[in-house]
Amino acid sequence: MVAKPEDKGTDLLQGTLDLLILKAVSLGPLHGYGVLLRIQQISGEELVIQQGSLYPALYRLEHQGAITSEWGESENNRRAKYYRLTTAGRRRLDAETEKWNRMAGIIAGILRTTPESL
Amino acid sequence: MSGQNWLGRKRAELRSWMRSVMQRRRVEREMDAELEFHVEALTADLIRAGQSPAEAARKARIALGPVLMHKEGMRTSLGLRWVDELGSDLRYAARMLRKNPGFTAIAAVSLALAMGANTAIFSLAKVLLYDRLQIPHADELKLVRWTGDDKVIAHSSWGDFDNLPDGTQTSSVFPYPIYREISKHPAGMESLAGFKEDSMNATVRGTARRVAVAEVTGNYYETLGVHPQLGRAILPSDDAVAGSGDVVLISDELWSREFGRSPEALGQIITLNQTKLTIVGVNPRGFTGAKNVLESPDLFVPISLEPLLTVQRVKGSDLSNPDFWWVNVVGRVKPGVRDSEAQQGLRVQFEAAVRSLATVKAGDTIPRLQLVDGSRGLHWADRTYKKPLSVLLGMTGLVLLLACANIANLLLARGAQRQREMSVRMALGAGRARVVRQLLTESLLLAALGGGGGLLLGYLSRNILPRLLTNSWEEFRVQVPFDWAVFACTAVIILATGILFGLAPAWFAARAEVSSSLKESAQTATRRRRGLSGKALVGFQIALSTMLVVGAGLFLRTLTALTSQDVGFNTEHLVLFDINPPSARYPAGKDVALHEELERRIAALPGVQHVTPAANAYLGDSMSNSDFLPDGEKYEKGNRTAEDLNVVGNDFFPTLGIKIIGGRGFGAQDTATSPKVAVINQALAKKRFAGLNPIGRMFRADRDEKADLIRIVGICADTYYYTLREGPPAQFFLPYVQQKEVHGMTYELRTAMSTASLAPVLRRTVQGIDRDLPVTNLRTQREQISATLQIERALAALTSGFGLLALALACVGIYGIMAYSVAQRTNEIGIRLALGAQPGQVRRMVLGESTWLTLVGIVAGVCGALAWTRLVKSMLYGVEPNDPATIAAGMAVLIVMALVATWIPARRAAGVQPMQALRHE
Repeated sequence: MVAKPEDKGTDLLQGTLDLLILKAVSLGPLHGYGVLLRIQQISGEELVIQQGSLYPALYRLEHQGAITSEWGESENNRRAKYYRLTTAGRRRLDAETEKWNRMAGIIAGILRTTPESL
Repeated sequence: MSGQNWLGRKRAELRSWMRSVMQRRRVEREMDAELEFHVEALTADLIRAGQSPAEAARKARIALGPVLMHKEGMRTSLGLRWVDELGSDLRYAARMLRKNPGFTAIAAVSLALAMGANTAIFSLAKVLLYDRLQIPHADELKLVRWTGDDKVIAHSSWGDFDNLPDGTQTSSVFPYPIYREISKHPAGMESLAGFKEDSMNATVRGTARRVAVAEVTGNYYETLGVHPQLGRAILPSDDAVAGSGDVVLISDELWSREFGRSPEALGQIITLNQTKLTIVGVNPRGFTGAKNVLESPDLFVPISLEPLLTVQRVKGSDLSNPDFWWVNVVGRVKPGVRDSEAQQGLRVQFEAAVRSLATVKAGDTIPRLQLVDGSRGLHWADRTYKKPLSVLLGMTGLVLLLACANIANLLLARGAQRQREMSVRMALGAGRARVVRQLLTESLLLAALGGGGGLLLGYLSRNILPRLLTNSWEEFRVQVPFDWAVFACTAVIILATGILFGLAPAWFAARAEVSSSLKESAQTATRRRRGLSGKALVGFQIALSTMLVVGAGLFLRTLTALTSQDVGFNTEHLVLFDINPPSARYPAGKDVALHEELERRIAALPGVQHVTPAANAYLGDSMSNSDFLPDGEKYEKGNRTAEDLNVVGNDFFPTLGIKIIGGRGFGAQDTATSPKVAVINQALAKKRFAGLNPIGRMFRADRDEKADLIRIVGICADTYYYTLREGPPAQFFLPYVQQKEVHGMTYELRTAMSTASLAPVLRRTVQGIDRDLPVTNLRTQREQISATLQIERALAALTSGFGLLALALACVGIYGIMAYSVAQRTNEIGIRLALGAQPGQVRRMVLGESTWLTLVGIVAGVCGALAWTRLVKSMLYGVEPNDPATIAAGMAVLIVMALVATWIPARRAAGVQPMQALRHE
């Protein structure tokens, strides 16, 4: 799989990048490039992330203690930095997932509204 | 998000930030490696998808985007961005300061001087006027005082005694038996402790010396709540019986000095006024006794030893005499009892005790007892230092204000100069906040430079001031600790000024429209509006300087007036020292014999031309007086018959170089057995024998009519007596050999030798007679006079220093504002010159401008000076607070200073070449 160039596919909603990263690394340790691929993969190639904004986001999450990193060997024997979810990160992911779902439900409910249901 | 989560995240952020700052290079390396890996992995994937390697690498880099920006974003994520910006701001600020060494030096040095001076003087004032005794709950300690009218019963006393302006008298000494009576069950008080501080001769480890001794009651330590750091305290059992209790506690300072802080000190013997005492304890460090907060007595002994240690006055022992007032009393009020209730209870007890114990004669009144704050001891320092310190505090305040004005002026002027730089920065896209932060960093760096200097100066000079206030021959022991609180206060004031005036230009710069500012900086017209705040500041500086210079002038004139007086005797080559024979060993008669023997042996020393003992050395703040009743006059109550007296050796007049005007001086023919004689001075002759020849007349030096008649044999020239502030008083002189007892005397030697070379010889001579007898306070008459002028000298020195500092700062201020003004007006001056103005006219124009500024400042300053110098009237001598000469001189100094400071800018203005000036942009 190849990371897609930007400007195609669906734009990311403001503030959702952190949530996606947390979700991606919750499935297993990943390096930065791996995070990019994993998000593309699980979104069915629908979501494309600006590659440059990934790293500041990763650093911010690590800075806040939601993820932690470790240098290791990549699949083709290169040294790469692997990110892993911490306990605090897990809690945050759960909380934000719940928040997201609730919000999505509310919005969906609003959008489903027809004149008759009022 | 819950609070706990938030806290956890903040903690993680702090940890991560610390790690990033500490391991900055590793962070940078890892960032590079991580982005590099990203590009490599993407390239590899693209190649696998069929791209050529070169094309794949290019696409991968394009996909990642600008690496530098991503890295900046990553740094921001780690919280490193502001650290980097601060670093670059600091580097830039340091470069700016280095580029203007003159500006930096002036600003930093003036800040450092102001802060140093303030810290030193406020620290001293805090110690002298506000620090409390270092005992537990010092604020609860009460001092017992009394106030009474002029017929108060305390006729005979030893201790502080003040006449209040309303005609009442106040003192804090009590007769011991009366104290003892009240202290048995003091109403409302936990306990009452008595003490008396005195100086005595002690032999410690074989060396005889003069030491400060506190005689204390058995409950003193318990009342104060002080526990010795070694050994035991003085206990009630120690002072149970008069004459008993041969134990002593030593001060921490004496313990270090004499015993090297060895526990072996316990059990050692100290001989105090011939009494052998055993050391039983060492006082805690910082404990200074209950009398004052500055210095601790060296030794603390039970008060029951008083009859052995001191000359017993009047009749019987001081411990049993109910009419001799001498003991200081402190205590603590019982918890739950109001101070006023305790005072009322004690008052009643005191009156009862006085009536039952003391000899109350007809007309005697019993004073009213008072409980006052005892947390600072007897407040002796207040009386001596309150006024001079207030003056110094006022003056340092002015200096601080001046330094603030100076820094404000410098920063404002520089801000105006850099308007263009700021506009360029903003035109290039710098945010306003960013520009403001940059300027703020510069101001703060400058303030920090000055603050560092001030800290150093304050620390180094903290002991200079107290040294100025103590005499030159006594060991200097007062320690003024460096006061961080005071320093912090000063630093905050200065920093606030730096920030305020550093921000002002930043604020203007940030508000200014970029384009208009860039256009405006083309020098088109005179810009008076901008110069106004600067000029107001300089005017303010001049006004402050005027006040300081006039003040310094007044104190200098006072000092010169005091020192230039003819005191009536030759103060050169006169060496003084004290001999205080303990009365236990030298009772009445034996002391006279001792002094005779000492006088004989010292007179025989090589290099000593004349020697005389005297009861009082002149100009040393001590004096004696006695009734002077010419034969035939009777003592009547209410008549002032006392005259100043000095008891002297037969060689007194030649030793001091006092002329005998008529009759004769004392000589070998005057002995203990010969007829009693006296010499009087001219002032006394005029006062008591107006129009008569006093020589040969008889008088009594006692109101008792059975006392011996004394014949006046000579008249001598007038001399000053105890202070330079009062001219020669009427005086009479008696030979000590004809006295029954004399106790301690001051020896006066006419010699060309120095005190240093005399010291060992004198010590040998004195200890050849008695090895426990110390030679104390060896000093010259000059040093003695200086010592009495300490406060005047310190004030003159410090105010002159401040005056000079103020002048320098004002000079810098005027130079700065005029140089700036000339630079701004180069264009205008060029036009003037091109239109035919002479260089001389231009120079006059610039000089005139600064002179106006100076005159306005001076007038304001003189008004200020007139207002505040009135407050120091009582501290001046020989000069009025509004002395026209001093004020005129101060004004002249400032005008000259202003002209000098303007000369260079004025010359520069006159030297402007019209063509260059007009092309000058």
